[in-house]
Amino acid sequence: MNAIILSAIFGVVLMMASAFVSNRSLYKTIALACLVLLVGANIAETLGYSFFTIDTHNMLAFNKMGLFFNTICFTATLLYVFISSSEIERVDNYTAEYFALIFFSLCGIAILTSFNNLLMMFLGIEIMSIPLYILTGSDKRNLKSNEAALKYFLMGSFSTGILLLGIAFIYGATGSFGLESIKVGTLQMQLSILEVTGCILLLIAFAFKVSAAPFHFWTPDVYDGAPSVFTSFMASIIKVAGFYAFVKLFESRIETTSFATNPAVGVNWHLLFAILIIATLFVGNITAVFQQSVKRMLAYSSIAQAGFMLFALFSVNAFSKEGLYLYAAGYCLATIGIFAVLVRMKDYTFEGFNGLAKHEPTLAFATTVCLLSLAGIPLTVGFFAKYFMLAAVVKQGYAWLAIVGVLFAGVSIYYYFRVIAAMYFKSADENPAAVATSSTVKIGLAVVVAGIIILGVWPHALLNFLYF
Amino acid sequence: MGTTQLLFWLLSALSIFSAMMVLISKNPVHSVLWLVLVFFTISGHYILLNAQFLFIVNLIVYAGAIMVLFLFVIMLMNLNKDAEPQKSIWMKLAGAISGGSLLLIFVSVVRSASEMQSKQALLKTGNIGLIDQLGKTLFSEYVIPFEISSVLFLSAMVGAVAIGKKH
Repeated sequence: MNAIILSAIFGVVLMMASAFVSNRSLYKTIALACLVLLVGANIAETLGYSFFTIDTHNMLAFNKMGLFFNTICFTATLLYVFISSSEIERVDNYTAEYFALIFFSLCGIAILTSFNNLLMMFLGIEIMSIPLYILTGSDKRNLKSNEAALKYFLMGSFSTGILLLGIAFIYGATGSFGLESIKVGTLQMQLSILEVTGCILLLIAFAFKVSAAPFHFWTPDVYDGAPSVFTSFMASIIKVAGFYAFVKLFESRIETTSFATNPAVGVNWHLLFAILIIATLFVGNITAVFQQSVKRMLAYSSIAQAGFMLFALFSVNAFSKEGLYLYAAGYCLATIGIFAVLVRMKDYTFEGFNGLAKHEPTLAFATTVCLLSLAGIPLTVGFFAKYFMLAAVVKQGYAWLAIVGVLFAGVSIYYYFRVIAAMYFKSADENPAAVATSSTVKIGLAVVVAGIIILGVWPHALLNFLYF
Repeated sequence: MGTTQLLFWLLSALSIFSAMMVLISKNPVHSVLWLVLVFFTISGHYILLNAQFLFIVNLIVYAGAIMVLFLFVIMLMNLNKDAEPQKSIWMKLAGAISGGSLLLIFVSVVRSASEMQSKQALLKTGNIGLIDQLGKTLFSEYVIPFEISSVLFLSAMVGAVAIGKKH
């Protein structure tokens, strides 16, 4: 509850700051201070100090797993704001409003990690996404940004409609919005075809939110059109939070609606998830190979990474759970790091990165580490994240799917290394970076690189928190 | 025949008549106005069923907001005789088939609803549609989603201002 209430309050604080604080450079300081307080409050709740005691009528259930995921997301946001606050200031005049919207989004994330009720899940998804539609269109004079915002908004509302239809079907079949009571209800009664239909509609809506193929079509345009600094937020923190809610929702009902327990109307979830995973990996990786712009390549690579995170949905066991946390942390770190470099470039094409290592060795090194982590090279956290996901699948007895995953990870190395090759082995006369790198960015990137390597050598630095 | 029954037949006849007029009238603006009348008569039925909240929401949302939006769109499109699209015979055929299928489903539903025939609709009784019932549920059991949705609206408002304001 700490995180939900405080993030909403901090959003209001920043909103008010835009009216009463005239010094525009103060906003980012306020935002950073609020984020530090938010992380602190969330850790305090993890340790058992809840500031608010509210009877939630069993609609929200706070457990250590969800709160720990909050901590990962909030810390990543702290790092994100620390690195890119000067870029956020440069987008438009409404800096404080953008920070406020980011806080509201975090409120949605805090609901998504603790919902115990489909109604709260719906609210959480909407609170998380609506600020994003606005952040996407925040570059008002750029037509591409306008187009991206409209596309994202229309497609997003459409998928919300499907989500609501699914919830309505489940409510009609079971008479309850709760996750828990649905569990009890379906064990007692016979499984209804309506509930299965509802679950498949929910699957479609969530596949859209996390941009899994074949519901990914909005992703490249939106990620490409949005201001790069907000693409970074969307592609990292929002995406992993979507996955947490996805897995949390489905792990409670894969059993009861599966083909194995209910041969009459059940769904073969493993087959369905496998199709979804392979389609996502295929579309993401193969299309990323043919991109000319690094930003667009990263959009497709985020689809490909979504394919890997879907493994957590396929195999719900201890391994996949650990893998999801590690993936969340690693993917957030790497994406924030690489976008922090990208916003500094003059030219977003691969050629634009030529000779970056000569002119800006720090930026080039940080980019390399982030790309290696995204590709899943050992000694980076990306390796262990992929390893845990694949191990979870093998443990469920689907080794062939793990092999497919490894093959596509191999493909991904090609387009990640194109950037590295451009930076180190090609030369350019002038400095490809447009903006001088400030010391804040350097410190932030150092934290990113350190996080990637420490977690890559010792993943249990993160995972141990799940069990204490 | 009591007042309630009299009102029921009156409203039903009026709603069917105005629904027909929506389709028959040539002028799109007249169609919309007849549609507003359809919503009013259906809202009247809600009152007969003692559902005041649905009555007022139906009026505000459908007859008020959505129909005004319709009117604006029609006026902006500036429809007249010349701009009317030419409908081919295939379009008419497809419309007849899909409309006929829907009619078939409705007829079969009414015919198979034998258990409903013995029951009478509860007129003027029952308190489930009253506003105080709704308020009690909203502020006791569903108070958390109710309060949290304020964050949703606040973020939408902040966004609308940030997007819509001039420099």
